[in-house]
Amino acid sequence: MIPLNYYLLFAAFLFSVGVVGVLIRRNAIIVFMCIELMLNSVNLTFIAFSAFMGNAIGQMFVFFVMTVAAAEAAVGLAIIIALFRNKKTINIDQINLLKW
Amino acid sequence: MTFEEIVFWSLVLVSGFAALMVVISRSPIASALYLILNFFCLAGLYLTLNAQFIAVVHIIVYAGAIMVLFLFVIMLLNLQDETKLRERMNWKSFAAIALSILFLIELFYIFIIKTPTPKIPIHPSSKEIGTVEYLGKILFTEFLFPFELTSILLIAAIIGAVVLAKKKFELTD
Amino acid sequence: MLEQVYNSLQFIKPELILVGTLLVSIIVDLIFKNKKVVVAFVILGLVLSFYYLTFLNSINQLIFFNMYAIDPFAYFFKIFLLVATIGIVLFSVLSKEISDLKSREGEFYYFLVALTIGMFLMTSSTNLIMMYLAIELTSLTSYMLAGFMKEEKSSSEASLKYVLYGAFSSGMMLYGISIIYGLTGSFDLLAINMAIADGVSSLALLISTVLMFVGFGYKISAVPFHFWTPDVYEGSPISVTTILSVASKAAGFSMLMRTAKIMFIDPYAAPTVNDWQIIDSVPIVEILTILSVLTMTLGNLVAIWQSNLKRLLAYSSIAHAGYLLLGVLTMNNEGYSATLIYFVTYLFMNVGAFLIVMLVSNKLNSSDIDSYKGLGMKSPFIGVMFALFLISLTGLPPTAGFVGKLYIFAALVNKKLILLAVIGVLNSVVSLYYYVRIFRNMFLRESDIETPEIKLSLAEKLLILVFAIPTIGLGLYFAPLVEFAHASVEIFSGN
Repeated sequence: MIPLNYYLLFAAFLFSVGVVGVLIRRNAIIVFMCIELMLNSVNLTFIAFSAFMGNAIGQMFVFFVMTVAAAEAAVGLAIIIALFRNKKTINIDQINLLKW
Repeated sequence: MTFEEIVFWSLVLVSGFAALMVVISRSPIASALYLILNFFCLAGLYLTLNAQFIAVVHIIVYAGAIMVLFLFVIMLLNLQDETKLRERMNWKSFAAIALSILFLIELFYIFIIKTPTPKIPIHPSSKEIGTVEYLGKILFTEFLFPFELTSILLIAAIIGAVVLAKKKFELTD
Repeated sequence: MLEQVYNSLQFIKPELILVGTLLVSIIVDLIFKNKKVVVAFVILGLVLSFYYLTFLNSINQLIFFNMYAIDPFAYFFKIFLLVATIGIVLFSVLSKEISDLKSREGEFYYFLVALTIGMFLMTSSTNLIMMYLAIELTSLTSYMLAGFMKEEKSSSEASLKYVLYGAFSSGMMLYGISIIYGLTGSFDLLAINMAIADGVSSLALLISTVLMFVGFGYKISAVPFHFWTPDVYEGSPISVTTILSVASKAAGFSMLMRTAKIMFIDPYAAPTVNDWQIIDSVPIVEILTILSVLTMTLGNLVAIWQSNLKRLLAYSSIAHAGYLLLGVLTMNNEGYSATLIYFVTYLFMNVGAFLIVMLVSNKLNSSDIDSYKGLGMKSPFIGVMFALFLISLTGLPPTAGFVGKLYIFAALVNKKLILLAVIGVLNSVVSLYYYVRIFRNMFLRESDIETPEIKLSLAEKLLILVFAIPTIGLGLYFAPLVEFAHASVEIFSGN
């Protein structure tokens, strides 16, 4: 059987890639995708722990994370559409009416 | 190398590559497609962990619903002017990368050297916990309250998404 | 199994009524063109929920398989949240920004109900799954409310920034939760506490705690997780800014306080009357101290440079989160009850200040400090009331703000944290500087351009008085409030 560590390390790698993406990309849609990537690495961690502990509640949490991710994606994309109608851009650097 | 190891390593390699490409690709469509590839590999990894139900739901929800929504929005916005999307790296980006790498090293340190040892010993029937039957049972008993709560979350999200995304539309008096 | 669910249902009547209100209002909004009907239904639902809530005042019970706590601590915050929400619904009725929404006006009010449900759940959750879902319900509705004036560029910008920061920090928090799950094998706060007390890898625990605090810090807008706050507060409709700065912050604090108390207190130490024994492996007090000092100092210093009142009040609310954290970090009953007292005073003075900003911007279409020049002379009622709220926000006697600060600093001094108390007092002095700038503009400066006199309707004046009277009253007579706060944290005594 593959050791638990391998799964955890891979999840940590995915999480860091997601974090880098959120921090360096300027396209709001891609930033959102990188957030999905982060959530998925969290899911992988949960499932790995859950399988190795023989404890199902970790998988339960993944179920809820998925639900929330779907809701969040819907709302986030709706906000992006609303912003695009106003400003004709989704580049975060050009979203500077407020000062950050 | 056993069959299990071959499956694991190939899934990890493909999904790691796809994750990197999500961040690197210039076009949002390419990023979205790489993300879908990454999701399929993750579902494979879930299967190697005996989480069948989650693996299937993962494909249905993420690849089937969320990513389709992403692709739909990308097409809807129709970002014609590709030059507008050109992005430049500055010192902030490099600082961000450096910090993330530090974070990653820290996590590696925790997971390799000080492996968190699960308190609860491995359950004899751990193969069964990933089935629909088992998860369904606890979902509708112990986790009934959070499950019902998600219904409020979803209804708020549905109405909110419609309100925010629809075009200006006034009732005629 | 089923019996426990049935038994639990009787304890969540206030929540069920709110859910019912949400669903009924959705239908009512579709039927009636006059959106004031929705407002009436929403207020009715909130009042009804308040009525049923009062029956739960002395119950202390875990329901739904230990996921949800009905106790005096949650009771205090639920009362607080309902008062705040009812106040803000009335507040929104007077707002021009909201009535300009036209067909979307109904949705605005029932989203406020959805937000209240989320905050209710935040105050009572004792399980990480519930806490995550409650945070997300609150956040999702806040994102939508922030972007509600979607024709305004600044509003949709604010909501995009909010959603990006929110999703990022909730991802961070989830990663922390996943490591905690790996360490302890549970999501229940008590079970986690026992597992931590039995000893787990301390570095991993530290990392996961810090990651979890990213999520909490974001909800209470503590520095360095505050980046969204000024932009969102400036860009959103003023009623949304108000509810975010008061109610959603209170919900975040109640969750932070419950988690800090349950997760990190040593269950094996001998119980003492007022001090809690903290588990050695997590430097929880140090984390809170750093957050608190950074939050109040940066909030106050940056507020000095602001020229927009909404933005200024945003930074001032960040600074207030810092004072509130001072109460939390004492980690004893006295500090916790001081935090609750501070929250009540903060509710009246902060909502009052925002109400005036809203009424002025209704008439002048501006929240710029320069547009307040000469306002105190032309409209003395507004000038005096605004001055009162600002004095209270600074923390000078005889206002409620003074009482709140007094109890917090007293708790610090009794815990021998003199240095922190001094830092807190110095910060209040700094805050005096930027509040005085507003007085000076209102009373001592003449306006360069001709501004119309602001005439308030009777309803508007009454609503201002509703917030002004407690702001003075609680400064003079505060014994019942103090007793209520003490009783609410009584369940936390000892270990």
